[in-house]
Amino acid sequence: MQIYLPIAEMSVDGLVIVGIGLAVGLLSGLFGIGGGFLMTPLLIFIGLPAAVAVATSANQTMGASISGLLAHWRRGNVDSRMGTVLTLAGLAGSALGVQAFALVRRAGQLDLVVAVFYVIVLGIVGALMAAESLRAWLRRRRKIPRRLHEHFWMHGLPVKMRFRKSRLYISVVPPVAIGFGIGFLSAIMGVGGGFILVPAMIYLLGMPTGVVIGTSLFQVVFVTAAVTVLQSVSTQSVDIVLSLLLMVGAVAGAQFGAAMGSRLRGEETRGLLGLLVLSVAVGLGYTLVRTPDAPFVLEPLR
Amino acid sequence: MMWLLVVLLSLVAAVPSARALVAEVSQREIAVRTDFTGAELIVYGAKDSIPTDIVIAVRGPPMPVVVRQRTRIAGIWVNGASAMFEAAPGFYAVAATRPLAELLPETERRRFGLGLDALPLRAREARAEDSFRQALVALKVERGLYRQQDTGVTVTGERLFSVRIFLPPTVPPGLYQVDVFGVQGRRVEAVRDLTFAVRRVGTSAEIWRFAHMHPWLYGVAAVIAAAVVGWAGSIVFRRG
Repeated sequence: MQIYLPIAEMSVDGLVIVGIGLAVGLLSGLFGIGGGFLMTPLLIFIGLPAAVAVATSANQTMGASISGLLAHWRRGNVDSRMGTVLTLAGLAGSALGVQAFALVRRAGQLDLVVAVFYVIVLGIVGALMAAESLRAWLRRRRKIPRRLHEHFWMHGLPVKMRFRKSRLYISVVPPVAIGFGIGFLSAIMGVGGGFILVPAMIYLLGMPTGVVIGTSLFQVVFVTAAVTVLQSVSTQSVDIVLSLLLMVGAVAGAQFGAAMGSRLRGEETRGLLGLLVLSVAVGLGYTLVRTPDAPFVLEPLR
Repeated sequence: MMWLLVVLLSLVAAVPSARALVAEVSQREIAVRTDFTGAELIVYGAKDSIPTDIVIAVRGPPMPVVVRQRTRIAGIWVNGASAMFEAAPGFYAVAATRPLAELLPETERRRFGLGLDALPLRAREARAEDSFRQALVALKVERGLYRQQDTGVTVTGERLFSVRIFLPPTVPPGLYQVDVFGVQGRRVEAVRDLTFAVRRVGTSAEIWRFAHMHPWLYGVAAVIAAAVVGWAGSIVFRRG
């Protein structure tokens, strides 16, 4: 079923797109992530321009995260104060990211920059996740108790703020820095950033795990919404038809994934997710060093 | 294809002089809809027994294109030197009754831009070597946007000619130029030019225009659409 994408200006097989949505939705339901970091590389792989893949993937991630946010909000698992701080910083980061994105695109290095960001970010996060789940698994076997949360030097920075729901009284500098960084990556990579945000909230901010997912979804929804609007304005590369097709698959896939996920243990899930993230990083890294099919590339000027 | 035959026969009857040439295209407008998978255009016409040969060139709207050379830096492939072609035709197809090199001398082919090697492609950077030009043509050929069909034009009974030109799904919208040349004794003896338009119509065109004319509203609409589908989807599947 061929469908013409109005913004990408090309025809694609609609079933392939829905299939990608389904597969990414399945994994995102399984691991409780938005899945943007899988979506963008897959879209580039089937031949969509990197700009459209990144911008549309952010839009899709927003849609996929909203039902999760509503569910967590109803259960009171969202620290809205922390979420607001992260979101405001995230908006600033994404505004800068979209500018950088447009600049890099004009310089003709967008594909390279997107791939390099993926390799570095996913490489680090994947390795940390895999290592952490291994450690957790060993800890469980040796029965070493864990502290509620550790106080880092960065928590003692100025401008302290009380986050009641997270039971924290820390400086706003670390959440602002984290939010800003995720916002920037969201614009460049087309990801929600949940896979970085969740561990950052647990290990860097020391938030209780109960409110981490909901609060991260809060930030992801607002930042990806902002990225969608900003990309629409500065690069006109959000393809609404592509986004809706992906979402049809993703929404369905996420439900099956969530059902599968409830049968896995926490550290097993995180270990698998770490391996998945690492394999995407390795795959994209290979495309950077592999001799390209053609010695020249062509691109239209906008 | 009965209608085509009838049209062609009526054209033959209308050919007045020895060097006359008449031509027409099957569609004056090609609509790019959401389900567009490419289109076939037929250029047809009639001539007298002289000129013997026909060359047909179809050119899409000129647009700026950048060709970048892939170079390796510290083991990683990056985009290196580039050349910008300010007016490369968005689509180009040339077809003839016999191989172009046999029909016309190079000077004539260059003058009319007939043949992939005779296209008037000029890079803004004067230093740009010919390799960039060749790469541009090769990449466009690979995407089906440039084509040379040396024996693509069929002639029936010395008088009727026709050629099928396939426009791939990626054809750029705009005004297209069709030039029909009557060739005799390595010279162009008669020329007819026609035009047709490729237009975005229907939903996809509306979406494209909206995205480019009201980008803020488009962005907000994309956010709302994603939110509604995400929310509605979760309800549907929770029950199911």
